[in-house]
Order: sequence, then C-alpha cells, then structure tokens
Amino acid sequence: MENRIKGKTRITIDYKKCGDGVGVDPRDCCACLRKCEPAVFLLHETLGAVEENPYDPRKWRVTALWLDLCTRCMKCVESCPAGAVTVSWR
Amino acid sequence: MCDLCMKHGAGGKWYLNAEHYSNQIVEKYNLRDFLMEQYKNFEQISVRKVHGFNAVGMGYKLRIPIIGRIVKHTAEKLLHSTNPPTNPFKPEGHIGQVIPLEDAIAILETCAVEPIIEKNCMCRYMNRGVKEACCINFGVMSEIIDKLPRFIPEKDKYFLTRKQAVERFREHNRKGYIGTIWFGPYPYINNLCSCANPECAGLRPRVDYGLKSIYKAEYIVHHHEADCTGCGACVKFCQFGAIEHDPLRKKITINMDKCFGCGLCRHACKQNAIHLHPRDETPGFEKDY
Repeated sequence: MENRIKGKTRITIDYKKCGDGVGVDPRDCCACLRKCEPAVFLLHETLGAVEENPYDPRKWRVTALWLDLCTRCMKCVESCPAGAVTVSWR
Repeated sequence: MCDLCMKHGAGGKWYLNAEHYSNQIVEKYNLRDFLMEQYKNFEQISVRKVHGFNAVGMGYKLRIPIIGRIVKHTAEKLLHSTNPPTNPFKPEGHIGQVIPLEDAIAILETCAVEPIIEKNCMCRYMNRGVKEACCINFGVMSEIIDKLPRFIPEKDKYFLTRKQAVERFREHNRKGYIGTIWFGPYPYINNLCSCANPECAGLRPRVDYGLKSIYKAEYIVHHHEADCTGCGACVKFCQFGAIEHDPLRKKITINMDKCFGCGLCRHACKQNAIHLHPRDETPGFEKDY
C-alpha cells in the first residue's frame, strides 16, 4: 500500500556486467538475492539461451521480478560487487 | 473440506487419496517427458510470457483497473486447470495446500510412492541463491531430479526410506518451515515441500497478491487463553503475521483471517496452549480456504 503512494519502482540490471555469459556469473555471487529482504530478485536461465540450446547451463541472469514489493532500501545496489544494479523511481 | 477435496478427494482429503500418487497417471499422460522439460527450465517459469503476460511487476499489473482483474482471473484459471497437462512451460494445474505435520506424516507413511528423494528447493535457489535440501519428492519425480545436477544435494544420501523422510520432514517443520503439498501438474502429486514465506514461489502470489495459488490448510488454530502465559515464543514462528503479542494482557492475539493452519506455532508453545481444529467445524471460517 505504501508503494502505491510512492509510485512505481524500476530496478535495472546491467547484463554487460552481470549475467548472459559475460561479466560475473550470477550463480557464483547472488549478493543481491541474499541481501534483499522481500526477495524481489529472480535467478534464472536466459530465455534466449534455452531456445538456442536447452542444455546450455552457462547463461544465467538475475531479473527484478516483484518490483512493487521493493522497499527501496538500496541494499542490492550497495552489495553488488560489479555495480550492475540501479534502482530508480518516479 | 475445500473444493479440491470435493472434486478430487473421493470422500476424504485430496492429498490422502492414493490415486493421485500412482505411476499409472504418469503413463496415462506421459508425464515423464513433461516433468523433465518443466524442471529443466523451472526457474524461467515466472519470466516466460503466458497469454502475453509474465510475472515481472505483477503487483502493478494487478492494480490496472479492468486488465488487472482479467490477469488475476486468467492466472487463477491456469493454476486451477484440470485439463490434461500439455504445455510444460505453463504452471498449469499447479495448485497446492498447506498441511500440518500430522497429515504430512500420513502422506509419507501411506500414500507416497517410492523412490523418495530429498532435493534442493528450487524456490530458495531461484529467489535467494541458496541451495538447501528440504523438498521431498516421490515416484517418477525422484528419477527426474536425479538427472538434474543443480537440484541434487551435496550430501551423499538423498534417496530416503519412509522413516528417514518422516524424520527429515519433522526436522524442517520444527525449524519453522511450512509444510505444503502440491499437484504438479493436476492429476499427479509429487512434491511435499517445506516452504518459507518470502521465497516460496507458490506462497508469494497468495500472501502478497491474493491469488489462490495455494489453499489454506484443512485446519485452523485454536488458542486456549487460560493456559497462555504471553511469552510470545509463537510469534516468530508465524510466517503469515497472524499472531501478535499483547504485553498489556500478557497474552497473544491471533488474527484468524490470516491463519493458514500450518501448525508451526504449536512447536514453540511450552504451555501447550495452541491446538489445531478442523476448519469446517469453526464457525465463520468454513469456506475460508
């Protein structure tokens, strides 16, 4: 309910720094997933990777899924070693 | 009795109907390939678009005036679907219920088909990046998990006997994990999970968005106020925020609307002041599943 007053949250993850087979492998790090209190993030295989080759285990990425539950505590931004997460809102 | 029991229970509780555990169902619907395909890409299920919608920013989509209602209705229809499973990329017919320790033990002792396996919880892996062995699988599902390395726990022994499975489940339940049983997909029951609230992909839509992705248990908590000393130990066991500590009266107050009937609070109570009663015998909560 509070978030409704605050407006929409937007969390972007720079996939050139983390995930998609380049930069940090999110499966080794998981810092944002573990720090986030409402568990907003999701760790998953990239959709493209599966359509090309269903057994490709290399391409994983993190997506911010339950955006409206974000409390904007900024723990994910602080904890990311690659500096790939940005949180913004209107 | 919830409507799952009415439709699939054969006179009792749906999860105690041994028909749903049988290998015949697997052969009938060719679920071996279906489940393999589904669990190979399980983590994608929330980001893959179904009917043009995925779960990214779900709360915002549900707040759009008319479209939000359509999204909710479609999602519920998909989860409650009783059609033969066809598309492994949809969470079709994946509906579950919270169960207390006693019912889980009954399932493990009488209904579950061997081999029984304990695997890494996929919800905790995809939402927290933590590998914790706490989901119990039966039958064909165990064979499938055995082929997917990321779900196999690091310890040597993950094939369990019935007795060991009961022991493990009891351990998880006492630790404070909610017992849940799942249709996955509809006519086949293969998962007995020990869930935690913000991580579980099945509890999240229900608790945060009011989607009926999981039913409340067949039981509801009853509190004997005379025995309660107000120590508040049960408060931290409730993952649904149904119990509050009232320091003035030196008691606890229970919000029955929020109670899912998992029975975890009983493990914390030293005075034995909390019991479970059947939900349909509790006035005002008969239809509240």
